[in-house]
Amino acid sequence: MKKESDLKIKNIAGYLSKGFLNNPLTAILAFAILSLGYISLEVMPREEDPQIAVSGGSIIVPMPGASPDEINNAILKPLERRISEIKGIKDIYSTAMHNVGMLNIQYKIGEDRESSNLKLYDKVMQNMDSIPGGSMMPIVKPFDIDIDVPIVTVAFYKKEELGIDHIKLYKQIKDIQQDINAIENISKTTLKGAKKPQFNVLLDLDKLSAYRISIGQVVKAIQAIAKNAPEIDVPTKENKLIVFGVKNAINSIGDLQNLIVAKYMGSLIYLKDLAHVEYYYDIQNYQEALISYKADGSPLSGTQDQVTLSVSKLKGTNAVHLAESVLETLEEYDEALEKNGLGYIITRNYGERANEAVNELVHHLVLTIAIISLILIPFLGWRESLVVTIAVPMILAATLFIAYMTDQTINRITLFAFLLSLGLIVDDAIIVIENIHRRMHLKETADHSFDRIIIEATDEIGPSTNIATIAIMLTMIPMAFVGGMMGQFMLPIPLNVPVALGVSLFVAYVFAPYLAKKLIKRTKGTH
Amino acid sequence: MNFEEKIYNIVTSKKKQRKVGFIVLGFLIFAIAMIPTKIVLAKMLPGKSANTYSIYVDTATNSTIEQTKEVSECVMSVMRQESAVKNMEIFLGSGAPLDYAGLVKGSAFKSLKNQAEIVINLSDKHHREETSYMMVHRLRPVIQSKCEALYKNSSIRFVEMPSGPPTFATVVVNIYGKNALLLREISKDVKASFEETEGLVDIDIMQDDVHTKLEIIPNVAKIISSNLSVDQVSNVLYMAFKGSVVATKNSTQQQDQIPIYVSLDKETRTLDSATKEQLELKLSRLKLLNRQGIMVPVKEVVEIVETVADPTIYKKNMKNMVSVTAECDLVSQVYPLMDAREIMIKKLEHRFEVERLTGASTYMFDLALVDRETREKVLIRWDGEMKVSLDTFRDLGGAFISALVLMFLLMVVYYKSFALSGIVLVGSFLSIIGVIIGHFITDIIFLYFITGVHFYLTATSLIGFISLMGISARSSLLLIDFTKSLIESGIEKNRAIAISTATRAKPILLTAVAIILGSLLLATDPIFGGLGIALIFGSMASTAVSLFYIPVLMAKAEAICPQNGGVVCEEGEGLNEEHMDVSEIAPEVHHGNPTK
Repeated sequence: MKKESDLKIKNIAGYLSKGFLNNPLTAILAFAILSLGYISLEVMPREEDPQIAVSGGSIIVPMPGASPDEINNAILKPLERRISEIKGIKDIYSTAMHNVGMLNIQYKIGEDRESSNLKLYDKVMQNMDSIPGGSMMPIVKPFDIDIDVPIVTVAFYKKEELGIDHIKLYKQIKDIQQDINAIENISKTTLKGAKKPQFNVLLDLDKLSAYRISIGQVVKAIQAIAKNAPEIDVPTKENKLIVFGVKNAINSIGDLQNLIVAKYMGSLIYLKDLAHVEYYYDIQNYQEALISYKADGSPLSGTQDQVTLSVSKLKGTNAVHLAESVLETLEEYDEALEKNGLGYIITRNYGERANEAVNELVHHLVLTIAIISLILIPFLGWRESLVVTIAVPMILAATLFIAYMTDQTINRITLFAFLLSLGLIVDDAIIVIENIHRRMHLKETADHSFDRIIIEATDEIGPSTNIATIAIMLTMIPMAFVGGMMGQFMLPIPLNVPVALGVSLFVAYVFAPYLAKKLIKRTKGTH
Repeated sequence: MNFEEKIYNIVTSKKKQRKVGFIVLGFLIFAIAMIPTKIVLAKMLPGKSANTYSIYVDTATNSTIEQTKEVSECVMSVMRQESAVKNMEIFLGSGAPLDYAGLVKGSAFKSLKNQAEIVINLSDKHHREETSYMMVHRLRPVIQSKCEALYKNSSIRFVEMPSGPPTFATVVVNIYGKNALLLREISKDVKASFEETEGLVDIDIMQDDVHTKLEIIPNVAKIISSNLSVDQVSNVLYMAFKGSVVATKNSTQQQDQIPIYVSLDKETRTLDSATKEQLELKLSRLKLLNRQGIMVPVKEVVEIVETVADPTIYKKNMKNMVSVTAECDLVSQVYPLMDAREIMIKKLEHRFEVERLTGASTYMFDLALVDRETREKVLIRWDGEMKVSLDTFRDLGGAFISALVLMFLLMVVYYKSFALSGIVLVGSFLSIIGVIIGHFITDIIFLYFITGVHFYLTATSLIGFISLMGISARSSLLLIDFTKSLIESGIEKNRAIAISTATRAKPILLTAVAIILGSLLLATDPIFGGLGIALIFGSMASTAVSLFYIPVLMAKAEAICPQNGGVVCEEGEGLNEEHMDVSEIAPEVHHGNPTK
């Protein structure tokens, strides 16, 4: 076909391959891309599913004593009208119960979370003047997936009865909670099923009426001694400062038991005469957490009390590393817990799950690349197949690095985008290598230099490969505009596949010819 | 006969061209017909086997925490016999630590005595035989029949980890209307029609049960004359029976303050039975101290009336609403929905004028009801995963059409010819044959040989199809480009087509093999299986189309010949590449073998 001795390059593909073919920097660039990709794989935050930007929140307005209909009329209706003035809201769900009205606001998917939360606060604050009488201060609670969905949950339970009571248990777990919260990038820790220490004064109705004492009197007596007075400083006559404080009169359970409530028929009545006073836990809290578990080989145990500690992370931080440090912190407490007869079970570990999911997919990627390069050997020869095998990780490395730079995380969908693009990105390299391979064996090129064959072969398929790759990129781009949760969920695909394709073009024109020159043995035209 | 000759024979003979055309058309009709005939089933996302799932327990609105606990313990007792269970937790009166499903299902707002959540953690999915969704499918009827029977109006729902974004429930019907009573009645009919529909489980109405309560009405005249105040009465009642924290104490020993809580002790607080008489008896013993220092029994200043408790009011976007929710048991939500809708219409027809709302929007399954007597209007709107699926499929369909348009424009820019661009587009679109037939084959393999569960055409299949278009466009492009350059170099058209197809067959096959192998592992994934299958079978179909049908189309296209330049393109006139009006083509076949 091309008989002229001087090389004519028509396409960018030819220029790229010519520019890099004998450039010493090409090898360094290749090495740099591969290492950047590897570093990105290691340092990028990993998670199982991609983040979906869901913003919203709830407004809770308590109004003691109001019926649902009253709440609906007095609180919900005006509030709904105000809230619906905000732009970007998708749905407002409202609930009127006895004593409390609640509004759950859902923004459209993809609305910016910070500004949505601000708008909500703003609207409520603006209308504080028209809040109905009798209602309490509205509570605005925006929800935040990062903070609200814990990555690790730990259930503490009593392994054996060593006489640890609720108070000691609570103190122990609170200490652990404090330590875990001190880990960098941990955002929120909460306890479920915890029994908080409390003084319980349980009055006996019969004794109350026998001593002719009302509940109000008892309450007043307790409140009177529970007050903390600030310290008082008074100058003396010699102008010296004397400081005295009124000590909080309740220091122990005894102080409370011996509290004098009233005088009846000449004798003093102590609180312990009227009520059962104890230092125990918050018995009015009916929320409980129970667990049933398998202890080495034995069947599931009966249900028993537990306390669950849940740990959340800050946005954009690495769940895998954080979960590991939480577990390390817990291990430091192993001995102390053992001494008290306590055990713990990790009931959720998203860090581990994310890591497993990511590792499994990386494994799949490697396996797929291996299969593809094996299948190419009989068609192209092992040297040509090796070029493709080296080109693919380079494309993935560069794509991964770009993903890291644009603040994406490694998750299942990102890796699926890679798996999906794998079939597409090998094509460019295959087509270049196949054309080099084919042209090398043509009679016409027998007296051409190898460099020239490579550049011409790359240049020849340039236009159609360019346009075909752009076509695939174009088909992917509209997917980025799919709305709703599903669109957000699938977003890594339209984000990464076009990038991978673009990179694959570059690699096919720059590195594939370079590698071909280094690896493929020149054979003279035989056709 | 080698491949080049074969292609040459096809492109030179009208009869053979027509034959290839009909085969392609036949396959296309066969494949597309599989969707409406339900041979290939569609679903948004398939199920995913997870290591954990939750069970939501809701007892009747006025249940005690002990009753809720009893129902939860009953669930645990069934679960205890499962060897795959590693551990289980119950959270009474609150939601479990939040997960993605709980986030949209309102798990964080649970705080009532009739609510509980159970978390079941299973041993790792690689070490157990049964998938989590099969386990749920097996245990659901066992647990529901045993434990829901303990107390009336209890409901037990199984919540699996969603494979994609979570939704409130798979099937949600929101009934909007002004009259709360009417909504309550309709919701019963809707629930009943769900129960009659095969494949729907965990049916629940999101509303309070109506129950009676005792209301204490303070008698203001008596209160004033006894030298008491109204708030004194209500405060004491609250303090006595509910108890409250009256003071707090700071501690040097531990975090948080220590509250001091006052209430009546358990024995004097609890009533023997939930009757008006018992409450009166209790209130006659509870006394208040008036300003004169005289003890006045509470009973003297109040009246006790039995009433019906006001149920909670739910609204969505400022309209009163009752929701009925249901989950799908291993089936796609699309098909039971249609059945349920028909049953629902039948049930409601005797009382309401039912109008089916149709239209191109994703609200196309909604029903508008008008009461025959009162003319009250009620709207029945489908929501939940159904709505999300419809929206997603609509958006993906839109994405697909824009992809087609963008590609067409790109080709027109490149070739400056509508006909050639059309060839590329037709070639791309025909890969749908492979996608659908591939799903059909996989469905059969899965259903009868592997899992016993249907393999659905899902949103990811659609994504696979969209990316396939680009891939098959590449094959067509390579062919057209090479043919064009061969014709430019002076080779007769049909021969050029044959040569280029034969030469490009190798890279086309190679890239197809690469995609098929690259997608093999993708196909084993529960969620992206559809994508994998679409890519594998789609690229098979697109390779076949590229190698046999694209040459036929090229032979018919005039635009493939250079518009200017000295080379004469010897061939017959082609018409629109899709309609095979061969009568006008006068082929001038040149059998001279051009030099290579």
